[in-house]
This record gives sequence, structure tokens and C-alpha cells, in this order.
Amino acid sequence: MTDNVFRTDVRAFLAESLTPEIKRAGELMTSVFADFDATMDWHKTLYAKGWVAPDWPQEHGGTGWTLSQRYIFQEECKLANAPALFAMGLQMLGPMLIRYGTAEQKAYYLPRMLSGEDVWCQGYSEPGAGSDLASLMTAAVRDGDDYIINGSKIWTSYAQHSNKIFCLVRTSKEGKPQAGISFILVDMDAKGLSVEPIVGLDGTVEQCQVYFDDVRVPAANLVGAENQGWDVAKSLLEFERGGHNFTIDHKKQMAKIDLQASTQLSADGGLWKDNPVFQAKLADVAVDALALEFTELRVKGAFVAGGNAGALSSLIKVMGTEIGQRFNELSVEMMAEHTFVKQLDALLPGFDGEAIGPSCGLTTMAEYINNRAATIYGGSAEIQRDIIAKRVLHL
Amino acid sequence: MFIEYSEEQNMLRDSAERYLRDNYSFDSRQTAVKQASGFDADQWQTFAELGWLAMTFKEEFDGFGGGALETMILCEQFGKYLVLEPYLESVVLVGGLVEAGAQPTVKEQYLAGLIAGELQGAFGYLEEAGVADPTYVQTTAEASADGFVLNGKKTVVLNGPEADSFVISARTGAAEKGPSSGISLFFVSKDTPGLSLKNYKTYDGRSASELQLENVAVMSEALVGELNNGFAIATPVFSRAILAVCAEAVGAMDALLTATVDYTKQRKQFGQSISEFQVLRHRMVDMFMEIELTRSLLMATAWKLDNNAADAEQCVAALKAKVGKAGRYVSHNAVQLHGGIGTTDEFSVGHYFKRLAAIGVMFGSRDSHLSRYSTLSARLSS
Repeated sequence: MTDNVFRTDVRAFLAESLTPEIKRAGELMTSVFADFDATMDWHKTLYAKGWVAPDWPQEHGGTGWTLSQRYIFQEECKLANAPALFAMGLQMLGPMLIRYGTAEQKAYYLPRMLSGEDVWCQGYSEPGAGSDLASLMTAAVRDGDDYIINGSKIWTSYAQHSNKIFCLVRTSKEGKPQAGISFILVDMDAKGLSVEPIVGLDGTVEQCQVYFDDVRVPAANLVGAENQGWDVAKSLLEFERGGHNFTIDHKKQMAKIDLQASTQLSADGGLWKDNPVFQAKLADVAVDALALEFTELRVKGAFVAGGNAGALSSLIKVMGTEIGQRFNELSVEMMAEHTFVKQLDALLPGFDGEAIGPSCGLTTMAEYINNRAATIYGGSAEIQRDIIAKRVLHL
Repeated sequence: MFIEYSEEQNMLRDSAERYLRDNYSFDSRQTAVKQASGFDADQWQTFAELGWLAMTFKEEFDGFGGGALETMILCEQFGKYLVLEPYLESVVLVGGLVEAGAQPTVKEQYLAGLIAGELQGAFGYLEEAGVADPTYVQTTAEASADGFVLNGKKTVVLNGPEADSFVISARTGAAEKGPSSGISLFFVSKDTPGLSLKNYKTYDGRSASELQLENVAVMSEALVGELNNGFAIATPVFSRAILAVCAEAVGAMDALLTATVDYTKQRKQFGQSISEFQVLRHRMVDMFMEIELTRSLLMATAWKLDNNAADAEQCVAALKAKVGKAGRYVSHNAVQLHGGIGTTDEFSVGHYFKRLAAIGVMFGSRDSHLSRYSTLSARLSS
């Protein structure tokens, strides 16, 4: 099948399967997470079609698509305003379980992940261990066939909606900090586990702190060997970084900016799109976005040739997030005082009232605020630059 | 030009600093944010008792005769403590417009109530289709037998929900002599029939309204400033308002730098305080330099406004443009260096960031002030 035929098929499927409510949830995204219920509805639609995990090997439920087809699918979904599926299970834990999990773990967890029966969150960061993740202190102590876990995880996205959490825990204090870490799967309804929501700057809850107070977990839930969790986690961080296409996000941002620029007036009384200063500023960011698009294509070419992204994935994370933030700033400038209006109810896909201000500015301030976190999570911009300094420049 | 503060000005700064430090904690501020009014009425009353609301009005209206320097001194402290109370809207904007151009009865009544802490105001000057341009005015005021009848809509009217009175811009004639000609200002009480409000909160924790005016009839005494030339008084009031929000920005940036320096010293990763990483140290030094450059522009602009200097307006444009850039740099990096906690509602850093984002937008973007700056510079040098 040629890529063009494939693209037509994907478009046809999206046109018939994206309900207005699901699409609305995609349009109203103000961060990497869309409305929970709408996203899970979309997850189930894709599952029924067999398209929920295109990146997985076919024997575990993948689609068997080429890299190019997978990219087309992602692009079409995003441009049609389909909500992004939650990455913690499908993008992060899934590939890692396929690589490191036991046969029993794969047989049990993978189908539940595909169907959406299990919703996963990621327990990595701790109040005292952020950029320096290896210093984590949440302890798992062996007790017969179980581990007993004590400690706390923070910045756990959508923990309030999840029924499972994968965690890095300390199982040894010997040797280097990385050498005493294990990777374990935990039921969120286990006794002693509690979740406290963290309200974000836009007034909504995406992050949580998760507390473990003598939480008993079967030792069979360990992924990889005891004290080998760091290697497992490192592979997962590669999935987290390599699995994201910033170009598609940027195209969606640019489409929004085009709409704003062709409907809103600047201070000189003309449309923003005709304002030469604005044109120059937009072009400046757009050229960087284009250069990043070709960089992403280069990296994909390397994947096809059997290589890997290496430290270029750090470059892509730094530039991808920083370019996205610059687009946010342009939108705020154009929407001006309209961005002040806080109307969280109008950001829910089921809202049927009348929103205040132009609809193209509804999400602008929340996107700008929330996207500041993009250069912090998943390895901060500073940590990524350190990686490039060490691995590429050998400094 | 060398600014030397008078003894009174030093006292004003010290007393504002001391009062807010002792009585305006971040936690109590957050409690006030959650109230319907969006601020603490007791605080507003205390501001009145401390004389802050009277500070910049002429003595004939029972004010203390202060000027731009006093506005700057107070607003810088308001920025440092993220003060929510609507000083900008009630005193600088509506108070400034009323003092400059309202009829004697309106002047007496509003200013006395304002200074006593009993009345609040809001300035409705933006419209949805042209929010970047205050001269975009479609709201109309037609002359009637004994006054005017207003029709139209105003958007993002800050402090609208709490205001007892509004100043509203409306078109009374065509824009024959430039974009701001043909626009007049009117003083409208909240209870005037035909005026309706849709209230909401803003992202930076304040309140605002959409205003609808349907055959709102006012007496001819409601006119503020000249007919068809409301911008003659609005322009200097906007300049004072720009100075006020820029002073607030400097106070907010100071607070962010202090918080960031303290946090990076205390936060340990990789076995050391993260303040020891050179890349973060230099970032904080750059934040410091941005703040100090902005502060210099701020002080000079206040002084020039008070002394009617020829280049005062040029400095106002330079200041607002500089605050747009510095506010972003300082707030973005304060959040970045705090990491995750900088993005939470619980911690103050993110709230300073949101206030600076709003200030960056208010009264014209950085770009519009840069272009104003070049136009004014060309005019001065020719």
C-alpha cells in the first residue's frame, strides 16, 4: 500500500470514528493530556479497530505498519484533533515489558493495557529526587514472597485516574546509587497507597503525589532482576524521548496561530498576519521548527537503517519543547487581554454554554502556562544539554 | 537627572514594605483569591486608612498631592507581595480619569468615596474585536435631550464585579482626526438601567467582567473629559497605569529572584546545592541584570513623568517594552529553576509568573511599545 493510499484510509477512518465530543476534547487540550473520559473513549475506539498500539510488535498487538505509516497515522490523528492517548502504558511501560517482562507478565498486562482496562501512571520522581533521579529513596524491603514499600512519588501524571503504577524503588544501599534500584508494578488499590492531587497553575489537576505506607507487593511484580531497575528505566526514558514527534505538535500550534493571525487585529488596526513585525517573529520560530522537522526525519532515517537516535534525542527534546514555548508566546501576544479570562468549564468537551471571547483564544493562556513544564519534565532542558555535552562533545 | 527620594517618599516605601511583609502573607492572599470578590475588603479598608488610596490625588480633593514617584513606590511593593486589591483599576485608572476630567459633582463624590475605601471603579475600554487597540471603539453614545444613551459591549473589564462605577469609552463622532478622535468617556454607575455584567475570574487570580450596554441613559454630567476627545485625558492616565504595572513587575521580579536564589541554595541534587552549577548561577545573574536595567528605566520614567520631561512618553514606551522582555525572562527562568514545584498552585512562584504574563499583555505588547518608541524617538530628534 502506498503512503498516500494509507493516508486516505486513515482519514476516512478518522472522519467516521471521531465523535464530536472526542474531537472537542482534542481541540481543547491545554497540555499533553486531554480530558480523561474522552481520551479513554477514543482509546477503546482504536482498540476495537486494532490500531491502539502501532509502535508495538505485531505479535503483541501492534499493527505491523512501516515507520512511515506510523508517522502518517500520528500526524493525521493529531491534525484531526483526536486526543493523544495516554503514553504511560502504551508508549512507556508496554515496550519495556515486551523487552524485559516475564512471559507471565506479558500475558497478563499487555492485553489489559491494549484494551484500556488498566490505566498506568509512572512513579519515578520523588520530592528529593528530580533531575538526580538515581538518588531516589522510596524503599522496597523483601519480606517472604513480597516487597514492602515505603516512601513517596511526585509529579505522577493522572495518578487520580490510574489503577496501576510502575515504580522505581530502592532495594539496596550498596555501591553506586544506580546499582540499588529495582523496577516494580503496583496496584493502586493496594492497602497503604494513597494519592494526593496537586493543583496546577491553570487551576486543574494533572499531577499527583503518591504515598506508600507499608504497601505490600508480590515479588513477582518485579520487572527485570532485583537491583537492575536502572537499566530498565533508562530504556524507558529513551521511549519517552524518542517516541514523541514535536513536529506534529508544532504543526498543530501553527494551524492555531494562522487562525488567530487571520482573525485578530493588532494594535495598528490591521490583521496580525499583515503585521510585518509579527510576520518576522513567526518566520523566525517557523524556520527553527522546520529545521527540527528535518532533524526528526534524519533520526527516523537512522532508525530505519538500524541505528538509534543517540544524543540527538536530547537535542530534539530541548529544541522541540523550546520551539513549542515560543509558539505559545506568539499566541498570547495576539490574543492579548482575551487570555486573562479563566473559564475552566468551557474547556470541558461537554460544555454547552456560551464561552467568553473569541473561540481561537480559549486555550491560549492555559497552554502557555502549562507548557512551561515541558522544559522541566522528562529530563529538564539543563539535563538534556548535559547529556549532549557528555555524550556528543565528550566534555 | 539624579533621583533622590524625599523623606516622605522613603517613609512611604518603608511603611508599605513593613505593612505588607507583616500583614500580607502568600497564604492569606490565596484565601482571598478564592473569595467571590477576589480580594480582601479589610485590606482595602486598611490601605485607605494608611493613606495609600489618597496618596496621588491633589490636596483640593483631600489627597496628598503625590505623583508618579509615589505611584511607583506603592506599586513596586504591591508587586513584591502580589497584592490583589484593585489599586490599578480604582485609583490609577478610574481615579486618574475622574480627577482629570469628571464634572465637579462626580469628582467630589467618587474621589471622596474612593479615598475613604468605600467606592471601587473599573475602566471599560476594550472591545472584543480589537482588544489590542484601545482606539477600537464600536460602543456608541448618542446625544439625548439631557445627556447620552450608550449602546455596545466592553470586554475584560478588570475589577468589574466589585466596581460601583465605571468609566466607559464610546464613540460620539467619526475618527476624523486620527484613530482616537471621536471617542468620549462616560462615568456610569453600576446600577444604571441597561447595564449588565457577566463576571469571571482571571488566570492571575483577579476578577473581571464582560459589560453589555443596552440603551444606558446617562446625564450630560456623566461626560469625563472633552466630547470627542476623551483620549486627551486617557493618554496620560494610561502612561501612569503603565508606570504602575511596570513598578509592580519590578517588585514581582525582585521577589522571584530572591525566591530562586534561596531555593537553588537549599535544593540539593547530585550531592550539591544546585546553585553551585555554573549554568544556573549565570542564569540568575542574567535575571539580576534584567531586573536592574528595568529598575533604572522605571525610576527615570517616574521622574520624567513628574517633571513633564520632553522624552517622558518615549521612556514610558521603552519601559513597557523592557518589562515585556525582562518579565518573561525572569519569570520563565524562576519557574524553570524551581522545577516541578514552580508549576503548582500551592507555591508562590507560579503566581508571580502569571501576574507578569498579564502585565506583559496589558496596555500594549512589547512590540507595540517598541514601535511607539521608534516613532517617538524619530519625532524628538527631528
